[in-house]
Amino acid sequence: MAAYMSMGEAHRQITEYLNRFSYAVSSQDGKSLSRLLSISSSSSSLQFLADALNTFQDANRIIRQSEKCSQYADILVPVFRALQSYQLRNLVESYLALKKLPTLLMENYSAFIQEFRNWESAWALEALCVIAYEIRILAERADKELASIGKTPEKLKGAGSFLMKVFGVLAGKGPKRVGALYVTCQLFKIYFKLGTVHLCRSVIRSIETARIFEFEEFPVRDKFTYMYYTGRLEVYNENFPATDHKLSYALTRCSPLKEANIRMILKYLIPVKLSIGILPRNLLLDKYNLTEYKNVVLALKRGDLRLLRHALEEHEDRFLRSGVYLVLEKLELQVYRLIKKIYIIQKQKDPNKAHQIKLEVIVKALKWFEMDMDVDEVECIVSILIYKNLMKGILLTSKVVVLSKQDPFPKLNGKPVTS
Amino acid sequence: MADRRGQRQRHMITRNNSSSSSSFKSHRPSNPNTNAKITRTNKFATVNPDNNDNIDDPQDIPNLVGTCPFMCPVEERARRERLRDLAVFERLHGNPAKTSSTLAVKKFCRTISTNNVQASDVRPVTVLEDTLNYLLNLLKSDCHFEVVHDFIFDRTRSIRQDLTMQNVTSDQAIHMYERMVKFHIISHHRLPNCGSPNQIELHILFIRMKQNSIHIMCFSISVPDNQGESLSQWFRRVPFVIMKSKEMCFARRILRYFRLGNYKQFIYTTEAEASYLQYCIIEPYISEVRALALYCVNYGGYKLQPYPLTHLSNLLMMQESDLESLCIDCGLQTSTDGIGKVLLSTKLTDTCNPKRGYHKYYELVSERLERLSAELSEL
Repeated sequence: MAAYMSMGEAHRQITEYLNRFSYAVSSQDGKSLSRLLSISSSSSSLQFLADALNTFQDANRIIRQSEKCSQYADILVPVFRALQSYQLRNLVESYLALKKLPTLLMENYSAFIQEFRNWESAWALEALCVIAYEIRILAERADKELASIGKTPEKLKGAGSFLMKVFGVLAGKGPKRVGALYVTCQLFKIYFKLGTVHLCRSVIRSIETARIFEFEEFPVRDKFTYMYYTGRLEVYNENFPATDHKLSYALTRCSPLKEANIRMILKYLIPVKLSIGILPRNLLLDKYNLTEYKNVVLALKRGDLRLLRHALEEHEDRFLRSGVYLVLEKLELQVYRLIKKIYIIQKQKDPNKAHQIKLEVIVKALKWFEMDMDVDEVECIVSILIYKNLMKGILLTSKVVVLSKQDPFPKLNGKPVTS
Repeated sequence: MADRRGQRQRHMITRNNSSSSSSFKSHRPSNPNTNAKITRTNKFATVNPDNNDNIDDPQDIPNLVGTCPFMCPVEERARRERLRDLAVFERLHGNPAKTSSTLAVKKFCRTISTNNVQASDVRPVTVLEDTLNYLLNLLKSDCHFEVVHDFIFDRTRSIRQDLTMQNVTSDQAIHMYERMVKFHIISHHRLPNCGSPNQIELHILFIRMKQNSIHIMCFSISVPDNQGESLSQWFRRVPFVIMKSKEMCFARRILRYFRLGNYKQFIYTTEAEASYLQYCIIEPYISEVRALALYCVNYGGYKLQPYPLTHLSNLLMMQESDLESLCIDCGLQTSTDGIGKVLLSTKLTDTCNPKRGYHKYYELVSERLERLSAELSEL
């Protein structure tokens, strides 16, 4: 990076940028315009520009003097300011610059939004999306900086409310509405990061119920992201059919090359699939580094309750943080299908009497797995299993469970264990 | 200054219309109680420090400090005397139009906005503590619990309102919150139909209170009723230290038994290990769990082998006669088989949906809990 630049060179860089800007606008070239606004991208051309701005210092004059660009002064002045601040951070780590940045952008990008409202078609949508993205990223970084010096991080919260306004701009009739899903996804990311996930609800309601939005019209990339986040929300609500549908949607549309994305989806999809009786292969868990589920799967296969509880404890923090802990806890009900193993063993010994299982035998089996339960508790569990149709049979008062001759352990068949 | 704070604490959803203002408010409806400042110290070791899960408000606005020396601000007292709006406990010699500074207690005001509030209308922490002592002492009076309860419920709400407006988070305040929560838990136990504090209020109390997680239990079990946030979401934010606390582990265990339908352990563990306050919170769910047990036994049983009620009553820790009544409540049939009463198995599937609060509660047969109830500690 050139730390030193001549005044002439600086002037040239700035003028060059202004030309590109006005050309992009006049030819309605959304892609180019977006690239000119990607402040955090650290692209070399923007870095050169930032250096130029630092050298020249009075770029505003150039803007005002430019025939083509003076009308965009409202937008360009803060962009330059933002870029300069961002660049300074690299050199001087000045939090002040970062702190002002999101506010600057928000204050004056409102003007940009106004402009946008007036531009006829939706060509500048891509640029708008870039702005939305930049605002979120810069706010996140500003908050980090603020937190590290002991101040209250509140920029991201502000970014959230600003983006709600942007959403409002897009949520109208006309071709612009196609961008609404992108902004929605940015909002989701903000709310998930802040932990204020309940705020997602109002945006979701707008997307899913407003008649102006046709879900299929939205770009694929946005739909995919949207389904991922709404799928995650459904995990919290333990709404398994919906979660399965949404996360699977995201999974099938995810490029196989984007391993990090696949991993994120699987992290939430696996517990749900486990709940409906579908177990992932170890190969999958290894490939995407989801080894925390390995013991859970093994416990389910073995019917080993103690292993399940241990697996949950071992990765408790991780599971709690991702919000899947309670889902996994409920898998205990499936693990009691240890009884099925007993049934199979008994069948080998004496096929005629196999379907009659003494509760004492179950107690003993559990003891082998170091689970200490008395006959009363086993009876309780067996009756729950029967009640929830995980097992078909009858409990006799002589402390024996008589399994149904036909299909005593119905397959879950993709239906979640009812609560 | 007061303007911005007031706006944050009002019940309204504010839209930021002016694009030049640099103060941005989020779009969630603000509840006066949720926006109280949460101390940003390192007393909680959060699970993932990078995630910064705690929500804080800007600390640059100075806090309001109340100066009202009485339990009720002078203006309000005069106004309510004029309007004859005095509770029974506030009347001087029974006169509905006369009160005194030792009897009148500030009422809870729903529509208050900190915009117009005067420091002279707000009670400082010491006065609030005295007020709380006075209110809780009323419980010892001879009056009907129901009557006293409503009064105390409202006036403690006002205390919380004053605490919130002043953004108080000291240990003294926390102790006051604890006492108020205890009051709510026990009064809920005695009067199942009485109002309970706003869920959001309770939630904030829990985040503040490091030690006593009784209230956390309260929240954790009653969360299925909570509209705001699911239990999983809430668990994400509870500080690690609290998650690992003895009380929280107990709560999570009980919760697990409840969710899995393990009626035996649910009742057994409650009887054996719950403190009296924890029991008060769990009690409403015991009926539901017992009903579930009955439906299970009924469904999974053999019709030629009715289940003896004696055994069942031991399991569910209730008197046999109460169990019989519960069977009837659940629409299940009993009969006698020569030895004793039995539950008939009918594989009923229609009525099998135990709903909370649907069944009458029958006492838990427990010497231990009886003893604890008698020893109930001072509020």
